[in-house]
Amino acid sequence: MKILVINCGSSSVKYQFIDTATELSLARGMVSRIGMAGSVLEHKPHDRPVVKLGMDILDHIVAVEAVVSILMSANHGVIKDKSEIEAVGHRVAHGGAHFTDAAMITPAVMTELRDLIELAPLHNPHNIRGVNACNKTLPGLPQVAVFDTSFHHTIPPHAYLYGLPYVMYKRYGIRRYGFHGTSHKYVCERASAILGKPVDQMKVITCHLGNGASMTAIDRGVSVDTSMGFTPLEGLLMGTRSGDMDPAIILHIMAREELSLHEANTLLNKHSGLMGISGVSSDMREIIEAANSGNHMAQLALDVYCYRIRKYIGSYAAVMNGLDALVFTAGVGENSVEVRRLSCNNLEFLGIELDENKNQSAKARETVISSAKSKVNVLCIPTNEELVIARDTERIIQSMTGSPSLAEARV
Amino acid sequence: MGQGLAEAIAQSGYELYLVDRTPERAQHGHLQIGLALDREIERWGLTKGEKKAILARILPTDELNVVRDAEIIFEAVPEELKAKREVLSRIDFLCKTDAVIVTNTATLSITELSSSMTHPGRLIGMHFLNPVARVPLVEIIKGMKTDRATFNKAVSTAEMLGKKWITVNESPGYVTTRVVVPMINEAINVLMEGVASAEDIDDAMKLGFGFNTGPLTLADMTGLDVILAWMNNLHNERFSPIYAPSPLLRKMVRAGHLGAKTGKGFFDYDRDGNKVKKDETYIEQQMAEWGQV
Repeated sequence: MKILVINCGSSSVKYQFIDTATELSLARGMVSRIGMAGSVLEHKPHDRPVVKLGMDILDHIVAVEAVVSILMSANHGVIKDKSEIEAVGHRVAHGGAHFTDAAMITPAVMTELRDLIELAPLHNPHNIRGVNACNKTLPGLPQVAVFDTSFHHTIPPHAYLYGLPYVMYKRYGIRRYGFHGTSHKYVCERASAILGKPVDQMKVITCHLGNGASMTAIDRGVSVDTSMGFTPLEGLLMGTRSGDMDPAIILHIMAREELSLHEANTLLNKHSGLMGISGVSSDMREIIEAANSGNHMAQLALDVYCYRIRKYIGSYAAVMNGLDALVFTAGVGENSVEVRRLSCNNLEFLGIELDENKNQSAKARETVISSAKSKVNVLCIPTNEELVIARDTERIIQSMTGSPSLAEARV
Repeated sequence: MGQGLAEAIAQSGYELYLVDRTPERAQHGHLQIGLALDREIERWGLTKGEKKAILARILPTDELNVVRDAEIIFEAVPEELKAKREVLSRIDFLCKTDAVIVTNTATLSITELSSSMTHPGRLIGMHFLNPVARVPLVEIIKGMKTDRATFNKAVSTAEMLGKKWITVNESPGYVTTRVVVPMINEAINVLMEGVASAEDIDDAMKLGFGFNTGPLTLADMTGLDVILAWMNNLHNERFSPIYAPSPLLRKMVRAGHLGAKTGKGFFDYDRDGNKVKKDETYIEQQMAEWGQV
């Protein structure tokens, strides 16, 4: 099945056109600066070079139209007709507690997605815009929502509840939801395939270290705990996000600096993390470069970052009462030799030992980087969220084929 | 006000022209917006990257002709009927037929402002409050001739700027200015009569009634000349003694003590407009001085 995978941001649309029969990505690209001067469509067919086109793109509808027409274009296209697109898979940030799996988008599902805006005000509105845009451009095509949260629906109550009055959970749905679910799921399954061990016999910790970063404890194939919580702010130190901290700190700072809600929110999400500690950059490559040339603040930021990963490894090993594999993925996880080394440092008692040569050579390709005598397999695995979305989309559509609800599944 | 509006609109992700009388003034306005954004960065409300993007969306110019391409035009000329009417009729002449013209006024009549326009139906009042980027309220004022499409456009504009809007039928001072001005004026009278110090008056209203800002600080932030102009307009329109400006307010405006923007009002300010702490003896001295009006 040929599936268009769409990931809508506030001013961007990322896409991949995937043939699930071969799992080949036929084309990928991104529309950026939507609604601004200098909108750009960057498109890469799998067998030809990248093309960059400047065009006027006022909204997400025009963006999706541009994507569909370049997929069909004579020079840069990979299909001849719209009808070759068989379905659309959308990345949707927040599925709340309700969506435990991907879902065919129906009017009822759209209503629920709108209700979820309250939980993900920064992401879900754009995702909804993407669905509406596809509906206009590709009318009648089945569309599936794949949620960042749904892989984590297996987390038990004792791990998802916060120590707040229970009424907050009942009233506002305040609990741990977790994010990056498709990525954690994908790299865990890849680890099982690479190691040749069934996933339901493994205890795995996955570290998705990108601009946002989270870790997940996956016990026999199911997520049992994850570091991001009610929002993507909790857990690890990130590029510009604080991650874990004493919640009283923010109340204290708000009072001392007389900050508004908006200012406090920006402080935690955009001025903190690697950027906040180092003052150098939010980009791990620049942090490491600065640290290597003697910048103490950059070194400190790097130390805090890796220390927290180690702390979570220990904690999740305890949660699962053991550990078979530790996986690094996403921008930093796939590329940073230093972060992997520092994060695995002093964990021999847990059975984690890196092979320094293998670690050095692992760059954005699937590699086992632990030593032969390490009891825990440590792996570097490039993530592929789009492929998971395409697979889930196909699975949902096939499970509904022949059922009357597929015919009704139009937005 | 024009700068504050430009800042708020650009922050919402829209591009705009900032038009002033000369290229220097327009450029100066752009610079001032940069400084306002710097203060927001200091308060953690913004990042440097966001500041750059916001400033890039604001194009300063002295060419009023740019209104030809605009969907919506905000007029923010100082609060004076003749000047506003003149600018509005020029805009009315230049802009597209389906463009909406918004006038930002606190006290003037929309109906009167539109009287010299060829298409008065497309004029509407939107009363933003300073600092525009931070105050979450806008009053939408329908003049007698404002048409429905214009009103709908004003509502969608308010929503795009993330503001809570209220509808006001044209009436001098609308809701906000009409209610707050007598309070500020009375606070000035209380100060003038030596009943309490400026600090204590503000503390009383802040802590006693949960206002974010005391009335005298609010007056300084707004500009005492602006408050006086509002009062004069309201007094002319409503003939009520409650809008008679306090003698101390008149005296301060005559002295050029206009509030934060001149460094001196009921409180003292540094160059960034931050309040300078005064000691107690200074306050007593001021009270004695102000008492003799």
